[in-house]
Amino acid sequence: MRPDTSSPLLLAEGLVREFELPGGALFSRKKILRAVSEVSFSIGRREVLGLVGESGSGKTTIGRLVMRLLPPTRGRILFDGIDLTALSGGALRSHRRRFQMVFQDPYASLNPRMRVREIVEEPLAVHGIEPGKGARRERVAHLLERVGLSARDMERLPREFSGGGRQRIGIARAIACGPELLVADEPIASLDLSMGAQIINLFSSLVETEGMSLLFISHDIPVVRYLSDRVAVLYRGSVVESGPTEKVFSSPRHPYTRLLTEGSLSAEPAAPSGELRSPDSSASSVSAGSVSAGSVSAGEIGLCAFLPRCGEARPECRILPPPLYSDGEGGREALCHLLQGEIAWLPLHPSNQGSPSDVPIASSR
Amino acid sequence: MGGGETLLCVDNLTVTLATREGTIEPVKEVSFSVGRGEAVGLVGESGSGKTLTGLSLLGLFPAGAKPPKGRILFEGSDLLSLSPSRLREIRGQKISMVFQEPQSALNPVLTVATQMEEIYKSHTALPSSEIRGRILERLREAGLPDPLTVSRSYPHQLSGGMRQRVMIAMALALDPLLVIADEPTTALDPTVALQILALLSRIRKSSGQSLLFISHDLSHVRRVSDRVLLMYAGRIVEEARSPIFFSTGPRHPYGRALLASRPEGATLTRKDGPLAAIGGQVPPLWDLPEGCSFAPRCERADDLCRSVLPPWKSEGEGRVFCHHPVDTPLGAPVHAA
Repeated sequence: MRPDTSSPLLLAEGLVREFELPGGALFSRKKILRAVSEVSFSIGRREVLGLVGESGSGKTTIGRLVMRLLPPTRGRILFDGIDLTALSGGALRSHRRRFQMVFQDPYASLNPRMRVREIVEEPLAVHGIEPGKGARRERVAHLLERVGLSARDMERLPREFSGGGRQRIGIARAIACGPELLVADEPIASLDLSMGAQIINLFSSLVETEGMSLLFISHDIPVVRYLSDRVAVLYRGSVVESGPTEKVFSSPRHPYTRLLTEGSLSAEPAAPSGELRSPDSSASSVSAGSVSAGSVSAGEIGLCAFLPRCGEARPECRILPPPLYSDGEGGREALCHLLQGEIAWLPLHPSNQGSPSDVPIASSR
Repeated sequence: MGGGETLLCVDNLTVTLATREGTIEPVKEVSFSVGRGEAVGLVGESGSGKTLTGLSLLGLFPAGAKPPKGRILFEGSDLLSLSPSRLREIRGQKISMVFQEPQSALNPVLTVATQMEEIYKSHTALPSSEIRGRILERLREAGLPDPLTVSRSYPHQLSGGMRQRVMIAMALALDPLLVIADEPTTALDPTVALQILALLSRIRKSSGQSLLFISHDLSHVRRVSDRVLLMYAGRIVEEARSPIFFSTGPRHPYGRALLASRPEGATLTRKDGPLAAIGGQVPPLWDLPEGCSFAPRCERADDLCRSVLPPWKSEGEGRVFCHHPVDTPLGAPVHAA
């Protein structure tokens, strides 16, 4: 049974993802990196959830978990009430048309030898949509126009397009099957300034007119603020603060969110230890030898990962893991000792830690 | 010029390149100056020619470049007509560069100390003990709290922010008069980027260097620059003092449009309507339109713009390369810092 439309489209509960790091001596204990730690969030229909954080915060891993490109170590992902983590093979594939991804790098994510028509057509073929040749062609033409390209572009190759043009092709492919959820991982990070705004407007109109939901992963705070209804701030694999975008950014409660939003020039910490290279992160960094001690050990005993960089730490921050506080009706949550005793903020029960209190847990059994 | 004495004066610089698509001019009739102790921001999108302009100041030109036209006067002598050995002396010693990607600009198989020693050994006759002391001093100035450990590290053992601090320490090793920083914050996380910007400003203020800050990020340019140069398709199209550019607003329609395309205002959300995106895209350099290069994307363009190259129009300390510059001030400061 599908729950009614008032329940969230996507619900992630207690997601954990660990990676085994390569290297180490033959019989030494394997090093485990926890890239995502007890992360819970929901995305409503027609809603944009912004996921912000630095490189290494686990935001890309979360995107891949939601897309089921990567299985979680623990936790559940409910899509429209269906537990995606329990599905595999054909059962999973039949649901895939309902959630699609737009990748960061439009150069690497398009097959350079395929024509635009073939790229956009492929998901239609995979899911058996519009089997007739003429109808499918018409649909591709329509999709290209929807993303600001034209039917004339069908027989062109990706290399004939600029970065912005390629990103449009990637979006056309993602929306080809009429998905309900788009996951966009840094979709404008590699685009020029003047192109970025065009692509943001396109996402905005897909949400407003097509009614899609969007998980928008980015480190660009002004853009996230513009586009998102709600936002989740990630630090070292944990959601440290979440809530309605305007509230979170206009009066951030977690010190890390404050750091992100204020970006104050006056406070230049002298290379804080938190700036040491983070273990996860993209591209350059999977060498076990150089993993910074701080993040792993702090994570293991459950202390606040932001502690080494925090200017407002209290004694209890060094002893106890940070509790999750909620402001109840306001829909905000923050994982921080500093909220102790604040009016309107109450700690959530430890067993509830990480799961949004304002969202009914959809059970489809 | 902010009243200061001129350190660098680029006069009508044109770089010509032969490519498969034809002959292009990625830097076209570029003129600007940098005063002593002044920070100048060079803004533009990719392909606008800002990086090539920066590299030209070090006498570095891409393969296939024809001999550049124009002059680059540094402390009165023309860098373009200096002998290679004189140019080498100036590079590093008087003009140095901080690159975008410290990971690829540093040598991965040498420790930080070894790489910095090289700079001193090739440019000075200092004894080794003195060199070691200076290296640690420079690393400390660059905001690295444990210079000794950092100096013994290899680049891969450092985070992106720490590597960029090492790059800055290296650029400052010989107390240059001019530092060129090419997108020094682009590869960094936002909070780290702000620390690096603060570091650049602090060092410049304490040691009086001049800075040419090349970036596509307007909010970063605003933070460090006294003056702004805006580039489009190989040309500088506007020059203005930073406070005027960001609060009164740029006079070139392209600058206006760039500012408006970012949701930088305090409360702008998608419910307020779409972003003011610039339509179309930057024209390829081998196929530039007649007249003004921005005309095809410009709301103010008319037949004149599409056929005749615009004239330079000056106002106060600023100038704009446009037939129909914008005269109305911005409603409110757009890039709230």
